[in-house]
Amino acid sequence: MNNITDIIIRVFSGAGASSIIFFSTIIFSLPLGLLITFARMSKLKVLSGFAGFLISVLRGTPLMLQLFMWYYGPFYLFRVSLGLNWRLPAIIIGFSINYAAYFAEIFRSGIEGIPVGQYEAASVLGYTNSQTFIKIIFPQMVKRVIPPVTNEIITLIKDTSLAFAITYTEMFTVAKQIAAAKATIIPLLVAGIFYYIFNYIVAFVMGRIEKSFNYYK
Amino acid sequence: MKNLKTVLSTLFLIVFSLLIVACSNSASNTTVETTATKEIKETVAQKKTFTVGFDAEYPPYGFVADDGSYKGFDLDLASEFCKRAGYEFKAQPIDWNSKDLELNQGNIDCIWNGFTVTGRENDYTWTFPYVDNSIVLVVRSDSKIEKKADIAGKVVMGQAGSSAITALEEEENAELRNSFKSLEQCPDYNSGFMNLESGMIDCLAVDIGVAKFHLNSSNGKFKQLSENLSSEQYAVGFKKGNTKLRDEVEKVISEMWKDGTFIKIAENYKDYSLTDMICLGEYVK
Repeated sequence: MNNITDIIIRVFSGAGASSIIFFSTIIFSLPLGLLITFARMSKLKVLSGFAGFLISVLRGTPLMLQLFMWYYGPFYLFRVSLGLNWRLPAIIIGFSINYAAYFAEIFRSGIEGIPVGQYEAASVLGYTNSQTFIKIIFPQMVKRVIPPVTNEIITLIKDTSLAFAITYTEMFTVAKQIAAAKATIIPLLVAGIFYYIFNYIVAFVMGRIEKSFNYYK
Repeated sequence: MKNLKTVLSTLFLIVFSLLIVACSNSASNTTVETTATKEIKETVAQKKTFTVGFDAEYPPYGFVADDGSYKGFDLDLASEFCKRAGYEFKAQPIDWNSKDLELNQGNIDCIWNGFTVTGRENDYTWTFPYVDNSIVLVVRSDSKIEKKADIAGKVVMGQAGSSAITALEEEENAELRNSFKSLEQCPDYNSGFMNLESGMIDCLAVDIGVAKFHLNSSNGKFKQLSENLSSEQYAVGFKKGNTKLRDEVEKVISEMWKDGTFIKIAENYKDYSLTDMICLGEYVK
């Protein structure tokens, strides 16, 4: 019994490292995703073309490969040696930019799904373009994108285990190491339960947020 | 329409329950050996397949050759053993962290892959050692680190689950380990050397064969400290208690040693200084 408590404590100690990736990615990728959406929907062909290209590269290559690029890139491309302190920033940049690309497309679908009538009504009432977006379009977009954004957030929690590819020891790696040392799969099951609980909380909170936005129904 | 719904939901139920059955089976295997696994093992024995578990990123013992096939000193030995003992040879790449699960579930018959005996004497049924290996310390060639004492205050890395990490976690190395700035773990040795080259870490603790390979193929980017972290031996590991298969392997390897086949196979890997590390002669009577 003591043994299992010990395993649970050790696996949980790795949860902090996973949470750092998770929360940093959420904080940075959501606003960045919105910026990419604006660029993608811009009337400037150069800007929207660039955003489209960026999204296609970020979505079209493995996240693990992108993490390698951010981590090893500075040295192998520019011969700049950044030391181990670069590891966490590289992970956060890699995750945030990758997830921003997915969020950008979700936001775009949310914005484009809003009926033209809303814009027309705003125009009739004398709203400027930015007022229309901030007061009318954006709140409706947020409502619409919550389910797909929740999907991405849940995927993100599970993707944090990719960070070990560039030697960052997070929860799943800790679990794998204990499993190897003790020749048992219990640590992996414990890690699985932790992921599930974390995802359950996220799904619950997002469900609540979705409900609180349901003021017209 | 309703019909289609019934069909679909029945299908879903079947698939889902199969999944649950499969999951619960694999979960119970590690603690209790079910009759099912015993049956599987017996059928394996009837077909006489000899499945070798190995890490496909561990040259020269097991790795992926230029043509995509699995190659390596240990795989060559195992395949020669199978030829002589009449087994069908199967090379099964495994995740090194899951080696015990694979062995206990009977997915593999043995681990034959530069497998370190030292520290694991009582965990497996072992053949006699055939390679004497040591864990060495590798640094960048422009590094100021010259001897073991110099790595105090530095960032040191080893492969997760490797004998280097095991050695550093031992009580007798506690002082050395605590002198490090930090001890990091990498998923495979290639990323370890990339971390070393790019200056992320200062020193890599690595098995001598792997170190020699990278020292030879990297045009002087790295150097090896003259002091070793530890010295150790390799043998073939079987599931504890499987002395029958172990004895068979020992017998055939001894024959291979006496007729010179063993050394001939080792010479195919002389880039890795394998021939210098063979210690089988001390054990074959």
